[in-house]
Amino acid sequence: MHAAKFFCWHFMAYPYLPDDFDDKYESAWVTVPNSLWDSEKSADLYQEYIDQLVYGEELGFDGLVLNEHHQNVYGLMASPNLIAAALSQRTERAKLVVLGSLLPLRKNPLRIAEEYAMIDMMTQGRLIAGFVVGGGSEAFNYNITSVKARSQFWEGCDLITRAWTDDGPFEHEGEHYPLRYVNIWPKPRQQPHPEVWIPGSLSIETMEECAKRGYNYFLSSRVHGSATKAAVSRFAQIVEDHGGAYHPYRMGVLLSVYVAESDEQAREEASEGVWYFLRNCLKGHLRREGRTQTFGPGIPSQSKRSWENYLNNSEPGRDLLGDAKDWDTLDAGGSIIAGSPETVRRRLMELIELAGVGNFLIQFHFGNMKPELARKSMHLFATEVMPTLRQQSAELFARDFPNLDEQLGESA
Amino acid sequence: MSGRAIEVDGNQVWIIEEGNGGPVIYLHGFADVPGLAGDVPPLQMELAKDFQIIAPAHPACSKSDEREDLDNMEDLVFHYLDVFEALDLDTFHLVGSCLGGWVAAEIASRYPERIRSLSLIGATGLFVKGHPVADIFWVAQPEDGLYYNDLRNILFSSKDSEIGNELFPDGRGELDRELLRYGMFRFASRFGFSPPYLHNRKLRSRLRRYKGPALVIWGENDHLVPREHATAYSDELNNAPIEIISESGHSVQVEAVADAAALILKFLSKN
Repeated sequence: MHAAKFFCWHFMAYPYLPDDFDDKYESAWVTVPNSLWDSEKSADLYQEYIDQLVYGEELGFDGLVLNEHHQNVYGLMASPNLIAAALSQRTERAKLVVLGSLLPLRKNPLRIAEEYAMIDMMTQGRLIAGFVVGGGSEAFNYNITSVKARSQFWEGCDLITRAWTDDGPFEHEGEHYPLRYVNIWPKPRQQPHPEVWIPGSLSIETMEECAKRGYNYFLSSRVHGSATKAAVSRFAQIVEDHGGAYHPYRMGVLLSVYVAESDEQAREEASEGVWYFLRNCLKGHLRREGRTQTFGPGIPSQSKRSWENYLNNSEPGRDLLGDAKDWDTLDAGGSIIAGSPETVRRRLMELIELAGVGNFLIQFHFGNMKPELARKSMHLFATEVMPTLRQQSAELFARDFPNLDEQLGESA
Repeated sequence: MSGRAIEVDGNQVWIIEEGNGGPVIYLHGFADVPGLAGDVPPLQMELAKDFQIIAPAHPACSKSDEREDLDNMEDLVFHYLDVFEALDLDTFHLVGSCLGGWVAAEIASRYPERIRSLSLIGATGLFVKGHPVADIFWVAQPEDGLYYNDLRNILFSSKDSEIGNELFPDGRGELDRELLRYGMFRFASRFGFSPPYLHNRKLRSRLRRYKGPALVIWGENDHLVPREHATAYSDELNNAPIEIISESGHSVQVEAVADAAALILKFLSKN
């Protein structure tokens, strides 16, 4: 039997913004002044966040998810590989999902091949390797030319996986990263190489490139249930078009969850952190108000045709996730689910049934949420939500994907 | 005549042509882009009274094909060598606005013998320490998902500029206009984003290779390219005269058509 997998995701947000942040600043990204950073208050911050992830392993989550962000308050993991190294010394079982390292920020992506191989060795093969092309904020922070970033990115992915699998030294004749001697030491623990996950936000091109290479696709765009279903159908079709067969572990989705004893209590306890996250951390990203730095005409990474498609299918100035007015709007959106164990169980099972996805990457800590609340929510999820979901999803997958054993055998 | 497509190295290049006389190549900037897709724009119409004006749209702009192989200024200069050959042009006057001015200056420094005169309007392209070109990519990201006040302020005399509001309106404009603007940003970011923000550090010392007549035109209120760049261009181009257009912003070519046309026509007819 194969059950859905649950991963504990952390952003490591900066929790000490002033109360008037939203009124005074146009963005929590790129230009958010670092005079707002308080080293004294933050003295134990990384330790606390790492402890929360270690607690995730204790609670039985399948894995812990790290990510890379720069010059922002949304996520303080400028180097997820540093946190992965720290976790390698404090965990024994959970997968470490680095989702992911930003390839364009390295002068040569071979550095990622090396660091990931080290992490995989240090964890006895527990790394899931995420490669990320990045968005607009890196264009501004790190001077990444968005128009060219994608072709560089896919070459980087291919260079890394080949460095892991082909015996060196060999010559890489790439357009962007030509190298005479590719010959990395160490090689990864997992053979032929760690599972590769690529985040995307519905672009067909990204799905196709993943399907071509046998990578897993992670939907990062915080969409609601039916949009997740649509994304899964699209990716499944693309996998089939490339001669493969879709199964639930080919995809992951990002969700945000808060569990408390009752629905009312969940909203009450989560409110401070969730609204801090929405109003502050998402400003400059998934918020209409202010100036978004993650997507738009100034960062023209999409082809003219894709941009035309976007214009035809979007309403200018529409509210984004961070503009939600109240809990009911959030509930309807479905990317942030707060409630009793029963409510959260029901809503996640609905999503699993609807979408047929097997990897759930769940954010439990929001913005300035008190650590004890995040831990309580994780605990309730792990003890009162996860067991039932595992059991029910295993039955569901056995019914809907009768060849799963065989498929997983093949891809392993 | 007005618009037609020519084929260059397998790519379609859209050309606006008008008038008879000595050939004048006009290389465009951001504010020209919507205009170059339709009838001959007003400035080009004025210049066409005495000259043959030829305005090619950069790759990805107007109806020109995007070139995936365009990575840097060198590639763009080669693209224009092919354009000039396709048009059977040996020598010509060269006029450039905004980043079209940068391209013109790069061409003049490489092939000075082909350039009969060089007119630069609010040209980007130079590094002037302490006076950077403003970040047009940043302000192309709308405020509150809808408003382009900062973009208009950078490209025109102010955010309230009438022509600015016509060419870069708030909210969602007509689809074809949106795509024209998007194409221009794709083009500009290919060689002007990373690094070095719409300039080439080596251009300044290379400009001395062009010894012909030059004219530098700048809007009084250029918020994209600081006035110090006009001085730097003039210094390196044998003290070329600087003409400041009062009340105009960066995009003199559409904000002050009559003034710009008069200055350029006078300059061209002398050379």
